Amino acid sequence: MKKMNYFLLGVYIALMSSCLLLLPTHGYAIENDECMECHSDDSLERSESEGMKEDLFIDYTGFKYSVHNVNGVTCVDCHSDIEKLDWDNEVPHPSSLAMVDCDGCHEEEGEAYLNSVHKKAGGKGITIPCYACHGYHYVSHLESDSVYERENKFCLKCHNPDNFHEWLPQKETHFAFVECAVCHAPESPRYISLRFFDLISNKFLESQDLLEALETDYANFMAKLDQDKDDVISLQELEDMVLLLRQKDIRGTFHGELVLELVPTVHHVNRGGANRECEQCHNPQSPFFEEVYISLNTEGGEGQRQKVERRVLESYYVNHFYAIGGTRVRYLDKIGLVLIVGGLSVVAGHLLARIITAPVRRKRKDKKDEFSI
Amino acid sequence: MEHDKLMYVHPAPVRVWHWVNAVGFIILIITGIQIRFAEIVNWFSLEEAIQLHNYVGFVVIAAYGLWVSFYFGTMKIKLYFPNPRTFVPNAITQLKYYGSGIFKGEPNPHHMTPDNKFNALQQNAYVGIMLVFLPAQMITGLFLWRVKRFENYIDLLGGIKIVSTIHVLLFFFFTAFIFVHAYLATLGHTPLAHFKAMFTGYEEHHESAPAEEATF
Repeated sequence: MKKMNYFLLGVYIALMSSCLLLLPTHGYAIENDECMECHSDDSLERSESEGMKEDLFIDYTGFKYSVHNVNGVTCVDCHSDIEKLDWDNEVPHPSSLAMVDCDGCHEEEGEAYLNSVHKKAGGKGITIPCYACHGYHYVSHLESDSVYERENKFCLKCHNPDNFHEWLPQKETHFAFVECAVCHAPESPRYISLRFFDLISNKFLESQDLLEALETDYANFMAKLDQDKDDVISLQELEDMVLLLRQKDIRGTFHGELVLELVPTVHHVNRGGANRECEQCHNPQSPFFEEVYISLNTEGGEGQRQKVERRVLESYYVNHFYAIGGTRVRYLDKIGLVLIVGGLSVVAGHLLARIITAPVRRKRKDKKDEFSI
Repeated sequence: MEHDKLMYVHPAPVRVWHWVNAVGFIILIITGIQIRFAEIVNWFSLEEAIQLHNYVGFVVIAAYGLWVSFYFGTMKIKLYFPNPRTFVPNAITQLKYYGSGIFKGEPNPHHMTPDNKFNALQQNAYVGIMLVFLPAQMITGLFLWRVKRFENYIDLLGGIKIVSTIHVLLFFFFTAFIFVHAYLATLGHTPLAHFKAMFTGYEEHHESAPAEEATF
């Protein structure tokens, strides 16, 4: 009986061991923590050719808030050629890893990138991989970023726009309020992002503070403001919101920026393909101002947007965004018309009165001449 | 014409300023219309209109500098300031003249002399235009020329839209003003007399001459 027991135990162990052996390699999910055992060392680097060093340190806090980690993408999901870690070796994985294949997940973006000057530059011996612009491990949500942040994270890493925009009137103003790709990837949809600027603290009001002041939260923001339930904040509803804020002693104004929807075609930046026609934007029928949103950024850096009526751009609640011609205050034109028509009417009326009364003066003159003779 | 005297009322710097300013204003108004109403008019490209508007704006500012230097340098600026004691009755008399006397052939109650060039209404209008409206137009224009450079001042005024509103309202005002101004300039003893004087500097003085008697 005892022998039997030993036999069964042996069979069990054999079965269990074979099961373990049969498990696919991926079954050993390599945890991020394992990678960080080495890569949290800020002195970790490797020598490359010509004395160059490659920094191999990963700031895990940065990575933790990256869009990839937030969405559960692990180190080896991207570095997929690391199949196992062999701790007996000094470097537990192949020391030279394949380039990360971003297109594997970002298929549409990868395809869109083919039609761009950056990809085409590859033919001239330069390779501009995704991470040259997007960075490696700390890719964050861009939606909530301002033009300044978006540009700094991308275009301004390599380009100095001052060198190429001499023709552009108000170039600094354009750089500050219009994202580069709005003109340089003109086929991509764009929108006006409005953010509330607190004039007392002299900074943009964080969404959380704005919501608190309005005594609401992300989920109930629209329910609170959108009185007519059409999912758009009208000018009247925006006025009500500003009043509510004033009651809480928050005084400010809306700043606007022209930014792009983050769609694959934003990669379609091509030489000579930029929009240089000012009238595209600087006219009141411009499609550039059709989409207007208030951006409420969540703590994770994601942008939550609420559609706003286009007319608010022509109001005095958005005093810090003004595209000549494009977002002009229409009723000023009516005042102008009254002034000019008024001026002309005075002239025409007076002239007419002079013509009509000319015989009176002629008679008076004749009399005077007669008298003087 | 034997009683006519020639009076030197418009010194050279004033004439230069006036005509540079006049041509400048017309160009600024035309380009301004193009800039504001790009969807309606198509005289220039917006880019050209803005460049021209900026250049001419600076010429007008420089001309204003000449005006300020001359009038303050010679202290003739007092021509522009009405006498507080006589201003109200004079303005009423002048209004009555433009509103009724002129039609009956009565003489202009204001007699122009080099030291008393403007009637009460002109003084009132020009002091406001030259010392408030025109500087406001130039300052707002300068801010709009380089929004980023002047952003602190712009913020102080309440934002770019406020600055633009001031500039646009004054643009409409000046456009209306030019029509009225040009019309009133035809009310000399001949329709072209004041125009001629603004070129030559000399105004013919007619004792008690009713306006435009030769015309109608």
